Amino acid sequence: MADNLPSEFDVIVIGTGLPESIIAAACSRSGQKVLHVDSRSYYGGNWASFSFSGLLSWIKEYQESSGIVDESPAWQEQILEDEEAIALSKMDKTIQHVEVFCYASQDLQEDVEEAGALQKNHASATSANSTEAADSACLPTEDESPSTTSSDVPAEQTPRSDPGSAPEGAEAEVSGEKENLCDDKTCVLSTSEEGTSENVPVAEDITEPPKNNRITYSQIVKEGRRFNIDLVSKLLYSRGLLIDLLIKSNVSRYAEFKNITRILAFREGRVEQVPCSRADVFNSKQLTMVEKRMLMKFLTFCMEYEEHPDEYKAYEEMTFSEYLKTQKLTPNLQHFVLHSIAMTSETASSTLDGLRATKNFLHCLGRYGNTPFLFPLYGQGELPQCFCRMCAVFGGIYCLRHSVQCLVVDKESGKCKAIIDQFGQRIIAKHFLVEDSYFSENTCSHVQYRQISRAVLITDRSVLQADSDQQISILTVPPEEPGTSAVRVIELCSSTMTCMKGTYLVHLTCASSKTAREDLEPVVEKLFTPHTEMEIENEVEKPRLLWALYFNMRDSSDVSRNSYHDLPSNVYICSGPDCGLGNDNAVKQAESLFQQICPNEDFCPPPPNPEDILDGDSLQPGASESGDIPEASSETPKEHANPEKPEEPSE
Amino acid sequence: MSMEDYDFLFKIVLIGNAGVGKTCLVRRFTQGLFPPGQGATIGVDFMIKTVEINGEKVKVSERLSDVLICGFTGKELQIWDTAGQERFRSITQSYYRSANALILTYDITCEESFRCLPEWLREIEQYASNKVITVLVGNKIDLAERREVSQQRAEEFSEAQDMYYLETSAKESDNVEKLFLDLACRLISEARQNTLVNSVSSPLPGEGKSISYLTCCNFN
Repeated sequence: MADNLPSEFDVIVIGTGLPESIIAAACSRSGQKVLHVDSRSYYGGNWASFSFSGLLSWIKEYQESSGIVDESPAWQEQILEDEEAIALSKMDKTIQHVEVFCYASQDLQEDVEEAGALQKNHASATSANSTEAADSACLPTEDESPSTTSSDVPAEQTPRSDPGSAPEGAEAEVSGEKENLCDDKTCVLSTSEEGTSENVPVAEDITEPPKNNRITYSQIVKEGRRFNIDLVSKLLYSRGLLIDLLIKSNVSRYAEFKNITRILAFREGRVEQVPCSRADVFNSKQLTMVEKRMLMKFLTFCMEYEEHPDEYKAYEEMTFSEYLKTQKLTPNLQHFVLHSIAMTSETASSTLDGLRATKNFLHCLGRYGNTPFLFPLYGQGELPQCFCRMCAVFGGIYCLRHSVQCLVVDKESGKCKAIIDQFGQRIIAKHFLVEDSYFSENTCSHVQYRQISRAVLITDRSVLQADSDQQISILTVPPEEPGTSAVRVIELCSSTMTCMKGTYLVHLTCASSKTAREDLEPVVEKLFTPHTEMEIENEVEKPRLLWALYFNMRDSSDVSRNSYHDLPSNVYICSGPDCGLGNDNAVKQAESLFQQICPNEDFCPPPPNPEDILDGDSLQPGASESGDIPEASSETPKEHANPEKPEEPSE
Repeated sequence: MSMEDYDFLFKIVLIGNAGVGKTCLVRRFTQGLFPPGQGATIGVDFMIKTVEINGEKVKVSERLSDVLICGFTGKELQIWDTAGQERFRSITQSYYRSANALILTYDITCEESFRCLPEWLREIEQYASNKVITVLVGNKIDLAERREVSQQRAEEFSEAQDMYYLETSAKESDNVEKLFLDLACRLISEARQNTLVNSVSSPLPGEGKSISYLTCCNFN
């Protein structure tokens, strides 16, 4: 399938994370010729989602210490006298302190593979990888101090840049078994029918594993394809910038979403549900009548706090938590508002920050369901891909497993004029967008990065069991010591298509103060209990941990452009994922960079109707080749112009 | 939702090397024409065609969303094209999500496009749903004098892979209707069986909802 890349573009985008992908889509949509490359074999960079075996390969990559074999032809000789080169990094240094623990029992079989794995070279390589990783990472039975594979990955030993052998796992995992498991059937129902989203019955699957069977490690490996494990754990605010962009650009048709069903709080060692919509408050059994009235009154005030400045003016200098104490709210309610609704810091957030956050929460609540959040089916990693698809539809060219050796700068103009890729091919363009992690140490030596602490857990039941086992929950665990940050916990059920049946996928995120494990393990211990074989059939209160992964990810958001060493003005920097819950940061960044590249152009306008394009070119043969997009007369499909129109009454 | 109200909406995805004629097949079927241009079509990623099978009611619609709401018993085929992402083996995973059928296409005048089929099959097994129906298509039989892949070889290959095989010409319109309509029949009969077996669950393909179908809830 080899084909030579064209040697001239308008815009070259390096990295397929969310901001880069949005920009690629926007540029392509407004008629720019876009080349979009990623050195990895998968889309999304640090925004990607992986199957279980894909994740094991990813882990292995960051734990491996093998040196880099650079077989790329030298680019130095290609640099002419009136040119300079900015070498790009050959390895990714954004992931550190990767630690894996396995608590689920392992079968004796050594050769567990993902279902239907093909007998082919790299498939068998992967299965070897995964069992190997398992062997070293896993601890068969109960033990309070599980063994670790390796930790602390020094920056030097990150992945091989040899593109051909990049994470083969992503490519290699396969499954062809004709099972009668059918995902399609199981979870269609559970999306947000008004008012019922909490207790929607999910169609029973015939092949659901018997209740008493504990999930073993080999089952997880076998069902690995059912997992789509996000590296970044985020949700979409239903009135956030990303939802607006998805709707406006029509990219939303490439993805499907579910409502988050519950907002949870952790108070006095217990997990409880936070009533936040009007219906929730009224139906709540945990609140007294008086509390219900207090909470409703306060939330109603927050909706329009700007109109009543006299109510909060006097408290502007205070923190939001102090302000809440002055309101008629029980400690219970104060906790809900501060941590679960406003999701603000107890010590650092002002009254105004808190009111603003509360209002935003309530504002988003009204759009799609009982909570303000949506989650994309198959994981966050779908979103960059959706924008890449839009870019491709408008003519963008995609090349994974393709690395760039350097940027070529014209000395006289000081502008970047080309890249030299791994094959030594020189590709020229007018604008260059580069994701932060692709820059070499030379370029970023003055950049101060923050870190994000992440944990990914596979558990056997929900942190708060309810009538339906298909709940998607977000829980904020306040910090124990002042000065550290709250831990955000997102628990996904199998109908989000991110984990196998009978398991939950739990994502923990916080701004790092230490390594991910040091930051997050205390919270993990509060909420979960390690899976143990010997457990007597007494029902344990807490969900059991089957498997856990910790890692730190570099947070390159909020880095000022000036911190990077002399970059030409037509080289733009995209940051990796930030620590926040929503995606506004990525969208804002994308829009502002797009405006610099294409001033005065509309940002991702709705695409024209396909029929109009095709009718147009049937009248004028060859029109499609010119790359011109006919201005569509009936541009906006009605249903997208008004996304809030309630539809599908038939259900 | 009662059974009679179902709309079938099937997503058929065409894959195969660049230049084997995927777009031409789609356009021949959906619009009845053979595009003269050689380049990839810009700005179109899927086409909708409404077909009539066994004399059932049909609603012609331009956009998929209209059909879902209107409640007719229509048989929509939503046909997706790779938008050129196959050129450098960089198709997005999400492209395969919720595909009900795949048309794996090669060019009978191009040995290379046939030799790449196992690679495509691997990709299908990795990313597509387990239940996906795959059809192998050898396109460009109007160029029979330049044939590089014999019908027998292709048949053997498709038999070994348990795929249905068909040779087509998008240019001469040979077998194009048959390809899509046979596929539609199979999809419909499978969907019916599934709804009978598992009548509790909704038969709409896809697991969640697109944004525009998430019910809005007004309570402010």
